[in-house]
Amino acid sequence: MDVQAVKTQSLARYKEERDWFALLAEAAKQMPTSEGELQVKLLEILLDSKQTVVDCVENDKPFIGGYFCNAPELFHAMDLPWFMLMETPFLAASAPYLLNDIEGAEEMGMGTDLCTAIRLPIYYIENGLMPVPTALLGLLYPCDGAPMLHQVIEHNKVWKDVPIYACDPPYTSDERAVQYFAEELSRMVEFLEKHTGKTLDVDRLKQVCEESNRTYSLWQDYNELRRSVPSPHGWAIGGAQAFAISQCFVAGDPRCSAWFEQLCKCAEERVAAGKGASDQEGWKEKIRLFWFDIMPYGWIFEYMPWLESEWGATIVMDMFGNFPYTLIDTSSRETMLHDLAKRNLLDAPMIRQARGTAENFSNDIRRIVTDYKIDCVIWPGHMGHKDGSATIGIMRDTCRELGVPFLHIGLDLFDKRYTSIDEVKDKTSDFFRGMGLA
Amino acid sequence: METRIDSEAFDRFREVTSSIGNSEIEAWKQAGGKVVGYFCSTVPEELFTAAGLYPFRMRGTGSTSTELSDGCFSNINCSYPRHTMNQALLGEYDFLDGLVCINSCDHVRRIYDNWTVRLDTPFVKVMSLPRKIGPPQIDWYYEEINLLRSDIQEHFGVEITDEDLWKAIKLHNEVRALQKKVYEYRKLDAPPISGAEALPVMVAGTAMPKERYKILLQQFLGDLEKLEGSSDYRVRLMIVGGELDDPEFMQVIEEQGGLVVTDSTCFGTRLMWRPIDESVADPVRALASYYIYDRPSCPRMYGDQSRRIDYTKELAKEFRVDGIIGERLIFCDQWLVEHYMTNADLKEDGIPFLQLDREYILSGKGQLRTRVQAFIETIEGMRS
Repeated sequence: MDVQAVKTQSLARYKEERDWFALLAEAAKQMPTSEGELQVKLLEILLDSKQTVVDCVENDKPFIGGYFCNAPELFHAMDLPWFMLMETPFLAASAPYLLNDIEGAEEMGMGTDLCTAIRLPIYYIENGLMPVPTALLGLLYPCDGAPMLHQVIEHNKVWKDVPIYACDPPYTSDERAVQYFAEELSRMVEFLEKHTGKTLDVDRLKQVCEESNRTYSLWQDYNELRRSVPSPHGWAIGGAQAFAISQCFVAGDPRCSAWFEQLCKCAEERVAAGKGASDQEGWKEKIRLFWFDIMPYGWIFEYMPWLESEWGATIVMDMFGNFPYTLIDTSSRETMLHDLAKRNLLDAPMIRQARGTAENFSNDIRRIVTDYKIDCVIWPGHMGHKDGSATIGIMRDTCRELGVPFLHIGLDLFDKRYTSIDEVKDKTSDFFRGMGLA
Repeated sequence: METRIDSEAFDRFREVTSSIGNSEIEAWKQAGGKVVGYFCSTVPEELFTAAGLYPFRMRGTGSTSTELSDGCFSNINCSYPRHTMNQALLGEYDFLDGLVCINSCDHVRRIYDNWTVRLDTPFVKVMSLPRKIGPPQIDWYYEEINLLRSDIQEHFGVEITDEDLWKAIKLHNEVRALQKKVYEYRKLDAPPISGAEALPVMVAGTAMPKERYKILLQQFLGDLEKLEGSSDYRVRLMIVGGELDDPEFMQVIEEQGGLVVTDSTCFGTRLMWRPIDESVADPVRALASYYIYDRPSCPRMYGDQSRRIDYTKELAKEFRVDGIIGERLIFCDQWLVEHYMTNADLKEDGIPFLQLDREYILSGKGQLRTRVQAFIETIEGMRS
């Protein structure tokens, strides 16, 4: 497939995904609640981001491929539109074409034990279904699959000429590691300036980081509100959206802070009235759950509402909603890069847990179980999260020490054929019953 | 395993690799020596030699189950760390005075965490290995090696001077050169040594002190020289993959008529094909540069796939290989994707390639035989 054919085909697919979100936005507009309004606003920002990328492809303007943990405040400050290479599994897994794509990836002979979130972008790249950016930022952590995906990109004949830079992640988490990562970010900026013609203005970066600080501060406030019993929100609004809006689309943009303000207001009202996520839906919060992974985006609507209606189980916190707040010191370029390095290395969800040693898992469990009055912890055991699955003994021991039950399921967050939803539900029900949580 | 090789040195190599504990360790410990285990070929074992320690590369040899380590890992984890950890929990590694882990892959890096929780080895460290191979990464690893050097000095009460390090580097390079000589024999039309016989020779180099190994290797090369080669094979094969320390896997392949004449594996050529540069001023710099950039890499190292495939093709040409087998431990993402790319690259050059998934402890021999037979027949069919 030549470059032009890839451009045409990938643009058609990208527009299809954009249109899927437009459809979701229309559906969300029918929800007559504050939460519905928040969903609409999020989807509008997402659509705007998608449309910007479409415009870049159609009019040969510079845009990049990247990741949430590449310090997106830097792209924003450089006025560089971007999309995430794992956007479909992370954000559009409910799209109707997802299962066909997974099957397509299987037909490539890649095997079925490689993380679906890695297999899908490989499939898109190898089959000309992903927009080819001006420059690309790779991801070498938190798992083995990520660097392999980017080696496939370098190997692909159409993508071969796309300049690529990937920050190297240290395995440790001390000041030396943060400093090293900050230097990697600095080299990343040099790379972007060289290949996109855009420049990083320190004053603009300061402005973006200040706004980003405001966003994260609001996120922190929101997470405080989720400690309430009952929790003001469950799975349907909170962590996933907070992650997407703050890190995937408009990092350091006032629209992002405005969205969080509304989220906090909405949660505050519920807390003040003593209402939980359940009151609107007609069920009672009986079990406060920590879902220690990404949400099961491929089949979220078939499982999460069931958890609530069948068991009164509220997802009070999940891996992506838990984002410890690191203030960015905006006094100089160096301090900003340093603190962005710290935030993206030590705070970014999934990165903070899986990149380094297992104490990152056990410390999160300890803190969240205590702070959020958690009744039980579910480690879904996504088939791609092999380092986490090699940590189950430590996680179980931590939960035992805290006196909360721990469940490891074993599933694919994107592909419901891996472990059927009925089986996931059975395991969950057996766990709730067996642990006396029902 | 039957062998035509009549050599006391070879018998020693087979003895020390057929189980975890061995008589070399016993003798060393009786003399008051300390043993340090390590995972992965990217850990600079020269540092242990320089410190007067016995470096032992971690394996799960002899394991028959994972019932003790199943509490640490899950069923989507590689069988190599599961079996190795199980052996440790059974007490097979009680002889260790220290252990150095590394973030080589998602499975093996968790050994460190589980080990520190469940076992009481007095000295357990984890090294931070970069993913990239550029100058900043060499600098990072330079610091990592120096940090480990300080930790070893402090814990074991030894001093590791630059002179000690150079001495160790020279010794390890001498060993690499001797191992390469063994591989030279495998280039012959009628090699005196098979792949299944060569593997314990290589593995033994990671299971005994280097000085002792070097002497035995010299003796072994003398014995090999006298041995008549064998051309009783149908095709010449190369193995590409990761952690492979089981000669039986090779043997099953060779029983079908595919002589394994070379490899790019963690216990094979990648250990020794290139020496450490002895011309630089700083021995730690030499080690960092070697382990990050100079030695043939595995897919763990990002941005090096083109050099890896060139390396594979060069070896295939040098050893006149008819086909390449890509072996992979199930659940290894790195080798899964690497083999996907290797397959595409070799196809362009018309080199037959077979990917074999396996468990660390050999199972499914029947299926393995069938697939290898079919592969050999395909190669033969291409010739005619």
